[in-house]
Amino acid sequence: MQELLRFEDVSYAYEPGRDALRGLSLSVAAGERVAVLGANGAGKSTFFLLAGGVLTPAAGQVVFEGAPVRRPADLSRLRRGVGLVFQDPDVQLLAGTVEEEVSFGPMNLRLPEGEVARRVETALAAFELTEYRRRAPQYLSGGEKKRVTLADVLAMQPRLLLLDEPAASLDPAHARQLEGHLARLHRQGLALVVATHDVDFAWRWAGRVLLFQGGRLAADGTPETVFADRVLLAGCGLEQPVLFRAGRALGLEPLPRTVEQLEQAVGKERNTL
Amino acid sequence: MRRRVPRPEPLSLLTGALAALVGWSLLAGSLPRPWPAALALALGLALALGGHSHGSAVQIDRLARASRWAGMNAPLKTVGCCGLLALTLCCRTPWPPLGVFVYTAALCMAGGAGIRRYLGLAALPAAFVLLSTAALLWRWAPAPDGLADLPLGGGWLVLDTASQALARLVLARALGALGCLYLLSLSTPLPELLAVLRQAHVPALLLDLAVLIYRYIFLMLDTAARMRIAAASRLGYEGAGRSLRTTGLVYANLLGRSFGRARACQQAMESRGWEGEIRFLARRHPVRAAHIALFAVPAAGLLAALAVGG
Repeated sequence: MQELLRFEDVSYAYEPGRDALRGLSLSVAAGERVAVLGANGAGKSTFFLLAGGVLTPAAGQVVFEGAPVRRPADLSRLRRGVGLVFQDPDVQLLAGTVEEEVSFGPMNLRLPEGEVARRVETALAAFELTEYRRRAPQYLSGGEKKRVTLADVLAMQPRLLLLDEPAASLDPAHARQLEGHLARLHRQGLALVVATHDVDFAWRWAGRVLLFQGGRLAADGTPETVFADRVLLAGCGLEQPVLFRAGRALGLEPLPRTVEQLEQAVGKERNTL
Repeated sequence: MRRRVPRPEPLSLLTGALAALVGWSLLAGSLPRPWPAALALALGLALALGGHSHGSAVQIDRLARASRWAGMNAPLKTVGCCGLLALTLCCRTPWPPLGVFVYTAALCMAGGAGIRRYLGLAALPAAFVLLSTAALLWRWAPAPDGLADLPLGGGWLVLDTASQALARLVLARALGALGCLYLLSLSTPLPELLAVLRQAHVPALLLDLAVLIYRYIFLMLDTAARMRIAAASRLGYEGAGRSLRTTGLVYANLLGRSFGRARACQQAMESRGWEGEIRFLARRHPVRAAHIALFAVPAAGLLAALAVGG
């Protein structure tokens, strides 16, 4: 798969002497589903801000679609190609109405008005926001605000989407709805990188897990490999996912990723006994 | 079920008292004996008890969004209201501007603002206008030779017909202008108004500030409300001294948080390609002949009045 984003030995510090990220090297390809785990302060948000072109590395370089990001024009290119959805929707919401908000990104791309209008329509429809278009953000519920922030980033048609704890303020129904949206975006070919504390979600959804600890990348691999290392997980304040442990306890191979897979595997076992 | 009569608010009481004083001062000598006092009292009571407003920033926003005139072409509304305002200020007699006030107030209420809410929202600017009018009406003179005289210091506060005439004109113009402005602000959500200003090439910096301030008014109100509730649940508002201290803590905290918020907001804007100017796609409403008439007819009336010396 085509490589989209590459970090080459990137470091960043918010203040001298306190590194938020040290020597980070990784790459993300098109179509990947990556879960980013780690305790608060481990460097996840800094990684996202660097990947989204909001911060520039103090050392090392970021490469986007094969070209290194050095000059302001490259930074602009990075910001267009990488969409960043912040954890708190109120931080991101700016405009007086939903449709104005969704038009913010495309207008910044200096697209002609007709194209902007078209993208706004598509994004609103994709997130079932058409009837909310004239509503003001202050009168929306948490789940609706989250959909607006997703719509407005996706109206820019990025190739890589970074989501910082997207389900954090959502009720279970909206969290499920969000997973549905993520599945749809994956089918459309976007690379998705989700920062989360929910190991069960990461086990269920991700094809790859990045584990941050103290500003460094402590692990980078498939969920099976990363979650097998209990010591490392404990060091990051995490536990193994429930289905992982259940699968291991039952001796299942391959380990079930979803409850349905578990039920199927246990059902088969029962039948063969 | 009996409707509870809401308690009059201090501002409304002040406005009512001022209105009664000014009302009487304007009418004294022009109408036979009990009428000036009676009308002034009626006006004062109406303003003191009639208006109610709470959270006016949010209320204006809600009214504007729900208004029947929200679907009217925004540049038309802006030009129409500003045009009427300009004509109102040129009038030389009080009746045309008063007519403008009544007309614009009626349009506002037809748009969905109730009379009590309109009065409540008008209370603050009305208080200013009435204070100024009172100062215009009464002057200090060494001898009592006016329609009414009040002893003050070594001389007299005097009310005479010349100052009445001037005060009537100024008050009428101010009310007319107020009506025009309220018609615009209570029928046009701020985002649309800003889009009109952007079209009029108002400096981008001012508009960006307006966008951010507008958005953050609601966020700050919400955060402040939540902080007050949290403080109240911990008895932060028991007693005057403690209430004062808690209020100070809440607002100091709010200030600190707003700096952090500002940084996060800027990061969110930059990540979406913002490079210095906040631009949105403006929604355009069609211009309708009936709407043009709503402004053209009174404007024509004002021009005619001006032509015959009004």
